[in-house]
Formats: sequence, C-alpha cells, structure tokens
Amino acid sequence: MNQAEKLARESVKVHELGTNWLRDLFLDWDKVQMAAVLLVIIILGLSPRVVQSPYYMSIIILTVLYAYVGITWNIVAGFAGQLMIAHLIFVGLGAYTTIVLLERFRVTPWLGIPLGGVTAGLLGFLVAIITLRYGLKADYFALFGIALMTVLRVLFMKIKFIGGGEGIWLTFRGESLEKMAFLTKAPYLYLGLGLLLVGSVAQFLIYRSKMGKYFLAIREDESAAGALGVNTALYKTLAVTIGTAMAGIGGGFYVIYVTFVDPPGVFNLGYNVEMALAAPIIGGLGTLAGPVLGAILNKPIAELMRGWLSAERAGSSLIVYGAFLIFFVLFLPRGVVGLIQHPYERLRRRLLTNLQK
Amino acid sequence: MALLEVQGITKWFGGLVAVHDLNFNVDRGEIVGMIGPNGAGKTTAFNMIAGFYRPNEGHVYLDGKDITGLRSDQICQLGLARTFQIVRPFKEISVLDNVMVGAYNRTGSERAAQAKAEEIIDFMGMTSMTRQTAAGLPIASCKRLEIARALATNPKIILLDEVMSGLRPTEMDETIDLVRKVNQRGIALLLVEHVMKVIMALAGRIVVIHHGEKLAEGRPDEIVQNKAVIDAYLGEVKTSAAN
Repeated sequence: MNQAEKLARESVKVHELGTNWLRDLFLDWDKVQMAAVLLVIIILGLSPRVVQSPYYMSIIILTVLYAYVGITWNIVAGFAGQLMIAHLIFVGLGAYTTIVLLERFRVTPWLGIPLGGVTAGLLGFLVAIITLRYGLKADYFALFGIALMTVLRVLFMKIKFIGGGEGIWLTFRGESLEKMAFLTKAPYLYLGLGLLLVGSVAQFLIYRSKMGKYFLAIREDESAAGALGVNTALYKTLAVTIGTAMAGIGGGFYVIYVTFVDPPGVFNLGYNVEMALAAPIIGGLGTLAGPVLGAILNKPIAELMRGWLSAERAGSSLIVYGAFLIFFVLFLPRGVVGLIQHPYERLRRRLLTNLQK
Repeated sequence: MALLEVQGITKWFGGLVAVHDLNFNVDRGEIVGMIGPNGAGKTTAFNMIAGFYRPNEGHVYLDGKDITGLRSDQICQLGLARTFQIVRPFKEISVLDNVMVGAYNRTGSERAAQAKAEEIIDFMGMTSMTRQTAAGLPIASCKRLEIARALATNPKIILLDEVMSGLRPTEMDETIDLVRKVNQRGIALLLVEHVMKVIMALAGRIVVIHHGEKLAEGRPDEIVQNKAVIDAYLGEVKTSAAN
C-alpha cells in the first residue's frame, strides 16, 4: 500500500470517526480506562444518598483514599518500575507534616496537606538521589525503602514534639471548614473523591506524555532506554519524586480523616501492603484504571474478611486476605484490567473491520 | 572531517586487553563493516563508541565533538544510535510506543512523536503490528523493531550489532534491503556482522579486528584477498566448512 492510498484511507476513517465521539473514545483503550475510573468516581459520589451507616461510609472513604494512594504507587512502581515497596513512608510523612503543622503551629490543613506533599516529595527525591549514587536497583532499592521505614518508625517514636510513641491526635472536635473538620462523613467523601479525580487525571496525563513513555521504557529495559536517548537517572528521580509527593498529599488527607497517626501504625509494612500495594496489584499494575478498580475490590474484601472472620482464630482474616492477594499475583498478573483488555481488543478489532467495509 | 572518528581507543578488563589502540573513521552516509573472529573485541569497541563503556585510553569524536565518556543518552542526542545484538524490545508496551520512545528524542509533543513513529513503522514495513505488544513478536520483527527505534531517534549514524543473527536466509535478504533503505536516508551505518555475505553486500569499507587490534581495513574486494585476514579469520571459515 503506498503512502497516498494509506492517507486516503486514513482520512476516510477519521472522517467517519469524527462523527461519533463515543466511537472515538471507545477506540482508545487509555480513554476507556479513564471513563471507567470516572464512572466509579460518580457512583461513589452518589453513595451517600443510599448508604446510611457510618461504618459503610467509612469503608467507602478509605476505598477512595486507597485508590488514590494506589495511583501514586502505580506511577513509581507500575509505570517506572521502581520497586518502592515501603511506599507508606511518604503517606506517613505527609500525614505527620499536616497534623503537626495543624496541632503545633495552627496551620490550616488546606495548606498543611500540600506541604505534606512537599516534605514527602523531598524525602522521595533524597531516596532517589541516594539510591542512584550507590547504584541500588530492584531488590536492593526495595530493601533500602524497608530499612528507611524501620529507621523512621524508631526515630518518630523518640521525638516527643510530634507525639512520640503514643502518636498525635487532632484535638479539635467540631465542624470547621478552615480546619477541614466535619461532623458527617459525606464532606470527607467528596474531598477524597476530588483528590482521586485530580490524581487520576494527573496519572493519565503523565502516562500519555513523553515522561510517561520514558518511565515505561525504563521499567522495561533501562539500558535500552538509555541507548534511545532517555536520561534514565533524571527520569527515575522524576518518577520517584512525583509519586512520593502525591503520596504525601494522600497522607495529609488520611490524617485529617482518621484524626490520628502514630509511628507503628503508619510506618508499618503490613498496612503498607493493604493501603498502597494491594489496589494496583489487584487492578493491574501499570494500567490506568488498575488502582481504582483494584481498590473497590481490595478495601471492601479486606474489611469483610475482618468482619466475618473476627470470631475465628486471631489472624485468620489476614491468612484469607493474603491468599486472595497471592491468587491475583499468580493467576492474574495483569489484574482486573488485564482480564478485560483481551475481550476489549477483540471487540475493537471487530469494530474497526466493520468500519473499513 | 569524518562523521565518526575513533582514535586509539583501548579497553582492558583486569589483565585482559579487549581492545587495543583501535583507529578508524566512518564518513557521512557511509556503510562500514566491522568483522573479526569471536572474542576479537567488536562488541567491546561498539560499547565504547556508544557510551556503554568508558575507554581506558583514546577518544571518540562524533561530528568533531569529543563524545568519549559521555552517557549513552547524551550520545544518542548528539546523533548516534545503536541496536543490541540480543534484542531488547520494551516487551509490555506496543510496537508504536516502542518506536515513540525513540521519536521523543527529538520532540516533546505526543502528536509529533506519534507521527514520526508511524512514519518509521510504515517505512520498516511493520504497519500491521503497530498496536501489538512487542512481547509477541518473532525474532525477525524484533530485529526490525530495534532498527526502527534507533531510526526514530533521528540519528546521523546507527551502530548495528549483528542484526542478521538468528534470521533465516530469506529474512536476511529482506533485512539487507532494509538496511540499504535506511542508508539511503543519508544515515551512516557501522555494522558488526558475522555473516560475510551480508558484509560483502552492504559495506563500502571493512575494518577487520583480531585480538582487539585492527588487522586490516579496506574495500571488501581488498579484504577478501588480504593474506593476514585470510589467515586470521576468513581462512578459519574455510577449514571449518571443509570439516
């Protein structure tokens, strides 16, 4: 097929598609995933009309938060392939920044939460620089993160000013927009959904940009990426800094909602798996809809296990939850999104051949 | 002034001298072949030129600019791209995305990078595979993808490391045509190759390396008659064929 013929056919195709934005959207897998994410956000946004129980509302809010934190981990580990196992470090640091600023310096969370992002991003930047300097990659990079988490847990327990081992509470109990404190659950849900929306859009824009393609190239093969002009050190640093800064913002929101943070709770590898790692893994690591679709399975299932199995032997809910995660890693390595991508591609091909007839 | 000037590069690993005092040039738009027995130091020389190893001695100039010791991505930005002997596709992303990574070397815009990548994919005859992930590609297509990605970075010269290895004879003929087409875009090529037929068909000049040193350099017809080359390299092929 020569160039002119191809162009002619393309233009016919474009002309046909131009008449139907829905078809346009359907042909772009990234946009299909974004549409799924938006749908989930809208449904969750309508949930207060149906859900009365504060317990279930709480699960929904945490689901939204886990989806957001999952997105931030997805950028670091899913896109750029940097194994930041102890990602909750940065959520914890953001949480501490926000609550310490509020409790000790009377800084409003509206400023404290972004500043939580700044401190977390700075620490993430430092981690990236140090691991690059000493050539720590893959499993060694992961171990570095775990070691850092342990160090921070001990360190934070020693500092009385930020609550020491007992942790630190929000003292204000009332309603105040300035302190981001509400008596009902719904405002927290809308704040969380706003954060999730911003996070999802940011993730989409990163994924579609030059930076995003460079992240994927580094994940797939670092030296091949270098040979194609990718400054791997720069882009690895960018991925880690962006992901950790976003996680810090999530941490700020987390502490405003749960009103409490302590070192063993947040610098905790087990909770780290549940909050940061599980959703992207279940939904599909490195995909756009993965963290959100994963979170709506992850949090409710973790919570239901806890409810059903709490009467059984201590820890049995963790065994079942662990088995559930292992199932996904073993049998659905591309997660829920991987599961739907296959039939989607078939449908797309059929649609395209119909269009060309 | 030659496009690529390699001046006295030397690399040793511990006590082993892999490449010793290697000199040669590649001119604009030229195809130069590099041959030599296994372990002669071809790939080491390649890696030094492309910025994967830093030479212990000597210099590499691209377009008159000293690129010795620069990182591979800096060298790529200056206009030298390479392929890998063992193909290294970005497996989990599509062929289009693979080539777009190369195209982003010269642009920041998604639209421009995609247009460039689509043009290259078309040029390489891979249009039907555009949306496929690279993981499922057969070896011949992987080799093409290597060239396509390198080509998308808009280089002045591409270093091709054994693009023919693992190919069937018909695939080899197609790839020879393809390499020629790439060269016709005005891009100089440095080929490391084992298959003499390929080198003879493509290269305007051949550099023979043996034990890390340059044994001979010249036109293909001169090289096949060169006594030293026959003894060290081509002769071996004949004896092993006779056995």
